[in-house]
Amino acid sequence: MKLRLFAAALPTALACAIIGLSSPTPAEARIKLATLPDREAVAVRFDHPNQVLVEEERTIALQAGVNNIDFSWAGTNIDKGSIVFRPAAADSKVEILSTSYPPGENALTWAVSSPDARSEKFRISYLMGNIQRETSYQAMVSKDETTCSFKHYFKIRNWSGESFAEADFITRDGKKFEKALSQGEAKRVLVNKWDNVKIKKEYVYDLTRQYEGKVLTDYVLVNSKDIGLGQIPLEFGKVRIYQDDGKGTAAFTGEDWGRFTPIGDEMRLNIGTAQDIKVEFKKMVNDVTNRRGNVYDTDELDQYEIKNFKDSEVILTLVLRVDGEWEMMKDASGFESFERMDNETVKFRVKCPPKGAPVLLKFHYQRKDVW
Amino acid sequence: MNYCSRWLWALMLAVLAAPALQAKEELVTLPKRDTVQLTIYNSVDLTLVQETRTLSFKKGNNRLQFSWAQTLIDPTSVEFRALTQGDKLEVLDTSYPAESNEMLIWTISAEADVSARVEISYFTSGLTWSAQYVGMLAADEASMTLTAYVSVTNRSGEEYENAQVRLVVGSINLVEKINQLAGGERERYKRDAEGEMRRATRESAGKKDIVKEGLSEYYIYTVGGTETIPHGWSKRLESFVQAGVPVSTVYTYDARKYGAGLTKLLTFKNNVEHKLGKEPLPEGTVRLYRTMGGNALSYVGEVATPYIAKNDEIKVNAGADAEVTMKLTRLGLEKKDLAFRRWGGRAEDQSLEGWTTVEDFKLEVKNFRNKDVRFEINLVFGGDFDFDSSAEASKVDFQTRRFAQELKAGSSTQITFKLTTRNGTNVKNR
Repeated sequence: MKLRLFAAALPTALACAIIGLSSPTPAEARIKLATLPDREAVAVRFDHPNQVLVEEERTIALQAGVNNIDFSWAGTNIDKGSIVFRPAAADSKVEILSTSYPPGENALTWAVSSPDARSEKFRISYLMGNIQRETSYQAMVSKDETTCSFKHYFKIRNWSGESFAEADFITRDGKKFEKALSQGEAKRVLVNKWDNVKIKKEYVYDLTRQYEGKVLTDYVLVNSKDIGLGQIPLEFGKVRIYQDDGKGTAAFTGEDWGRFTPIGDEMRLNIGTAQDIKVEFKKMVNDVTNRRGNVYDTDELDQYEIKNFKDSEVILTLVLRVDGEWEMMKDASGFESFERMDNETVKFRVKCPPKGAPVLLKFHYQRKDVW
Repeated sequence: MNYCSRWLWALMLAVLAAPALQAKEELVTLPKRDTVQLTIYNSVDLTLVQETRTLSFKKGNNRLQFSWAQTLIDPTSVEFRALTQGDKLEVLDTSYPAESNEMLIWTISAEADVSARVEISYFTSGLTWSAQYVGMLAADEASMTLTAYVSVTNRSGEEYENAQVRLVVGSINLVEKINQLAGGERERYKRDAEGEMRRATRESAGKKDIVKEGLSEYYIYTVGGTETIPHGWSKRLESFVQAGVPVSTVYTYDARKYGAGLTKLLTFKNNVEHKLGKEPLPEGTVRLYRTMGGNALSYVGEVATPYIAKNDEIKVNAGADAEVTMKLTRLGLEKKDLAFRRWGGRAEDQSLEGWTTVEDFKLEVKNFRNKDVRFEINLVFGGDFDFDSSAEASKVDFQTRRFAQELKAGSSTQITFKLTTRNGTNVKNR
């Protein structure tokens, strides 16, 4: 056991005698009599995004008067300044008088005053390093790609140097699971599972996300009760996506990082590129107009020829960028809807007929006062 | 062993008549310390040690030797003062023997055989103190119990037994560092001081009071009773506990201080309204935990805080909270009032020298939490600009505007503003 708590009740004769004789001996030769109270409960909390808080309870037999309680550790990374020590009972008569830190040791000594001889339960909390946590998800998408079962996993890897024989591991959203976790061991636990979560499939040609001109396939799920989620914020984590092939087996269709998604927000997951939808860009007009010295306007026509080789019609979203001051001309054509997301970014929704019939998005715009 | 330091550090009263430096034999007495007081500064590595001893003097000249091997005492600071019989005692000279730079000898003239209480004071380095604060937030984060601690660390090489400890809050000026005056770093040594720690602790059965008093530009914290802190050890004592300190949470955007995105700042003031304000809070580390029921804790965050004067504010950075988000979108850009410098009649005989941009922005703040929150968004703009917003904005400085609002649980708000920036020759008051 690397982490030890010594409770040395001072009034015991042997402890006093040994301590009384221990004047200028080297630090290595500390002699002490100690009882070793067992841990009764341990909780490992992951509330904080970067820190792990360990809480433990121990019952310590106190003598009347001042008791010194040694807390020491070896081979573990405990943040000494974070240690909080207090009686477990709110109305305890026991007082913590001081904390002393010996030189060059991973240890401290609490001086605890007790009005009488008693057994007192204490709670010790501290930040411990090298316990890694990882959130991941698995989405099993239905064959028609309208719903999925969404599993939320929490993985812990214990490199702390400390083994937890029995501990409550508590996630940020308060899920508790009891596990034994040895030093070096990792465990992955299913903490939530939601069935029949509605998803939306989108095809996106997005020049703010990639420059290659490929069509991305996204699943979009909103973290809301309407679609079967909305109970907890979804932590950042990898989402592995499988699809039911309708024959009782499943195929892996891609994975993406799911960003932290508060309740009410949407998670967009890219599962790969849509090879059956092709987009070809051509600049059809690129004229300079209204030149005034080093300042000019432009007249530009960007044409996107889209071919959907699938057997059914799809809607393609195109997200395009134009820098500076510009306006779209009225003769722009080929789209179902248009939204200027911000000054530089514009989003078109284009209906693409099946079997490769081409459709032309003609994005005609003029830039003003360029230099 | 407890009448004075056992570390080759002694006050010796030579009873031989002067001149005795040439004498081959000396008889000395080792008068014990009656009291010792440590006044520890935290802004510099400096401690004023004031110790009192009772000495017997014979009529005539008496030699008093004071030595301090293996410690970090500033030799230039050692002073002798008679607290009693001062009218009968006079320091004739102070000599620093060539063979030792860790010793001095006072020659003290006594008018008669007297017993006097004297004070010897000096500066030492290696004794330091620091402050720590632990805040236990209520589950709703609206209030907390704040416990302040002071920690004293002794690396001075000397053990000051049963010392009265005073801690100075404030920043003093020194022209030379004490540990340089002490001759640089001494060889450090280790020993088992646990026995002394235990003995000292046993002597005091109750919690120490720490009395705070103002003195000029400083505050002095006096620890109740006496303390023994052996070399190499640190000791942390409770300074005060205050329950029910109101805390407000402000989601703050200030890219210069906290980087991109909203940062959750837990804020309280060192004033009476916050049940504090009795004294300034020395610089230290503030750690916040949230109570989760059943005496369980959740770690919130920590900050190294500078000195907090009375009525000043403390902000603890609890990090980003992705459940409150902000998004700033530039909806539109227009350039106008283009001004040209001309040198001919042709269209190309000109170049742009002044212009004005008009930008429309949308600021959207969303609160995904199940409780109301307050946000404060500081936006910095450059150049000569006019600012016109749909919501009230305060002017923080010539280039910073602040939106501060409450936002209900699960709601969002949109603020739009227009930024007109004049450039080149269009800048006013150039």
